[in-house]
Amino acid sequence: MYLTPLTMTSSLIFIFLLLLYPVLTTLSPHPQSPDWATAKVKTAVKLAFFISLLPLFLFLNEGAEVVTTTWSWMNTHTFDINISFKFDFYSIIFTPIALYVTWSILEFASWYMHADPYMNRFFKYLLVFLIAMIVLVTANNLFQLFIGWEGVGIMSFLLIGWWYGRADANTAALQAVLYNRVGDIGLILAMAWIAMNINSWEMQQMFSAATTFDLTLPLLGLIVAATGKSAQFGLHPWLPSAMEGPTPVSALLHSSTMVVAGIFLLIRLSPLMEHNQVALTTCLCLGALTTLFTATCALTQNDIKKIVAFSTSSQLGLMMVTIGLNQPQLAFLHICTHAFFKAMLFLCSGSIIHSLNDEQDIRKMGGMHHLTPFTSSCLTIGSLALTGTPFLAGFFSKDAIIEALNNSYLNAWALVLTLLATSFTAVYSLRVVYFVSMGHPRFNSLSPINENNPAVINPIKRLAWGSIVAGLLITSNILPLKTPIMTMPPLLKLAAILVTIIGLLTALELASLTNKQFKATPNLPTHHFSNMLGFFPTVTHRLTPKLNLILGQTIAGQMVDQTWMEKVGPKAIVTLNTPLIAATNDIQRGMIKTYLSLFFFTMALAMFSLLY
Amino acid sequence: GTAKMASAYLTHQQKVLRLYKKSLRHLESWCIFRDKYRFYACMLRARFDENKDEKDMVKATMMLKSGEEEFWSNQHPQPYIFPDSPGGTSYERYECYKVPEWVLDHWHPSEKSMYPDYFSKREQWKKLRAQSWDKEVAQLVAETPAAGPRTEALPPARKEGDLPPLWWQYVTRPRERPT
Repeated sequence: MYLTPLTMTSSLIFIFLLLLYPVLTTLSPHPQSPDWATAKVKTAVKLAFFISLLPLFLFLNEGAEVVTTTWSWMNTHTFDINISFKFDFYSIIFTPIALYVTWSILEFASWYMHADPYMNRFFKYLLVFLIAMIVLVTANNLFQLFIGWEGVGIMSFLLIGWWYGRADANTAALQAVLYNRVGDIGLILAMAWIAMNINSWEMQQMFSAATTFDLTLPLLGLIVAATGKSAQFGLHPWLPSAMEGPTPVSALLHSSTMVVAGIFLLIRLSPLMEHNQVALTTCLCLGALTTLFTATCALTQNDIKKIVAFSTSSQLGLMMVTIGLNQPQLAFLHICTHAFFKAMLFLCSGSIIHSLNDEQDIRKMGGMHHLTPFTSSCLTIGSLALTGTPFLAGFFSKDAIIEALNNSYLNAWALVLTLLATSFTAVYSLRVVYFVSMGHPRFNSLSPINENNPAVINPIKRLAWGSIVAGLLITSNILPLKTPIMTMPPLLKLAAILVTIIGLLTALELASLTNKQFKATPNLPTHHFSNMLGFFPTVTHRLTPKLNLILGQTIAGQMVDQTWMEKVGPKAIVTLNTPLIAATNDIQRGMIKTYLSLFFFTMALAMFSLLY
Repeated sequence: GTAKMASAYLTHQQKVLRLYKKSLRHLESWCIFRDKYRFYACMLRARFDENKDEKDMVKATMMLKSGEEEFWSNQHPQPYIFPDSPGGTSYERYECYKVPEWVLDHWHPSEKSMYPDYFSKREQWKKLRAQSWDKEVAQLVAETPAAGPRTEALPPARKEGDLPPLWWQYVTRPRERPT
């Protein structure tokens, strides 16, 4: 159908304009109407979602992908930077999902933030973030991707520090920016190497010209970038701290969209990584370490948002493992399914937190199943999808990943860590459900808890539908690019579900032990390690600044003051000249008669030599 | 009866009670279910009550010291903190909405006309503040001891017809929950 390219390009450009229009209306000097947020922003995103379904269906029907170069921005004789959009398999599927999740979150935020005097500004920030994210996802060159990358980083800073009167929120926002910046070092390194050696930042040129090079250095740079943005081990503490922001921010940025940007970068540039075993092994091991470490930290946390944050970090590690297995499409599938159930988990947590008057500690929740049955049911559905319950959304991606891992002849250590993390997922998910929904309430009945507001229930309902059917819908309509291994021993096939069931049974046993409370203060070293997040923030957030300050002090004190000033510079002149002065002084000590006789003697000598 | 003024040094009773309260809070963080917590809390209370009639202060202080050490080793790494308490999740959350009152002077006349009653009286209140300011300062200067104030509490007005010192800061303070 010859109209296809026109339809695709027009609808995608129209989506950008639709999302930009509310932001541009805020530039006018007249104040916005009080319902600008719901009337303009939410409708824009909802409309953009329905329009984005058109390219999606065209792609599913015909396999149509579009690359549009719209503007030659900075072009020299040797290097071109253009504005160009790539609407391929990845961006065509991700854009509707991101818009759907954002639509639900905006509707939820209109309830959660309704008491906030600056709600319009909040929605504007979320919209600017969404635009930056879509720019990142549809970028056809690294420069445009970098614009989106930095954009989402800045909006993350502004949104985490939304309640800027709170010291912890400012610290967390700064932490996010700094850790992301460290990751950016890797991205800029990779961009510089590619610009120097391949002489182009366009995706098509890079993939075709890079086959002759040894790409280890830029790929390691990209992995560092993904470590920073997607909170892999080493640069991960910012993600749990980012829970200082309001719950809609946590749901949108720090679970579904922004944190997957690093993984998305690696997926986009996967043709470069396919043949480089060093990079793939680094991804595999880093991802396995991340997924186990953060799942261990999640086991003993008591703040419901932190548990979900560590869960996100663990799933991001799993996505990194998938990339290490050279299966970028499976990683992308997991990104899509994960967005649904993780955003739903955050929205359910936000609904519960708001109902309990800002109580976030699961030790003071309980019995929510009787009070908010729909919300706690959706919490359970989300947790089941997260653990990979057969035929829910998470199953199609997670089970495929674990099967691929089992059948690969790669690192067995990474396999063991990932399976262990999968069972831990079941443990902390059950822990959340047990302490929040089951049992008796452990809080005072101060506010009338209800689920009467459609602005809360409808988004959660939509995301619940997504969590149930998304996996099935996506896998039944998309052809896999790599052939999955179909035949394997039953133990390998059932490994994921067995490990999850073991985790579930262990968690039930631990829950019943908690209920019996044999010891008043069960202070175990393993609990302490997990609760203090492996002591990673405790050590790095104090050691690194301390070493830097000591370095500064050594430079200022030892180098500048002592060395340059005293031993080499001005005071050295004193130390050098004083002995000379003393020696000369001793000679010139007022011995007049000696001087006179010497004078006459030399005078006589001179006369003699002149005469003769 | 006579009330004792608080000084920098805590009495033995205060120290013991503080230890008891923080032990109970950390016990609550460990024992999540209320019935189990109630059992262990009663056991802890019995341990404290056993030694409550100790007359030898040296022995009592040694017991307090060993109690503090036991607390330190058994404390919870993430104790439960109420959301509005320091260290809690919504502590200082609304500080950014607490705007100082002098901002009201910078409002546009169209905005001021939305609250005519308040702004019509505001000029009178400001005149009153200017009048009583010198008297407030004089009272504070007279009543503060030479080494500096002992407490943060402000004294009440002493003379008939006077206003208490720094009353303007109190009257125009922002609400605890501005939104």
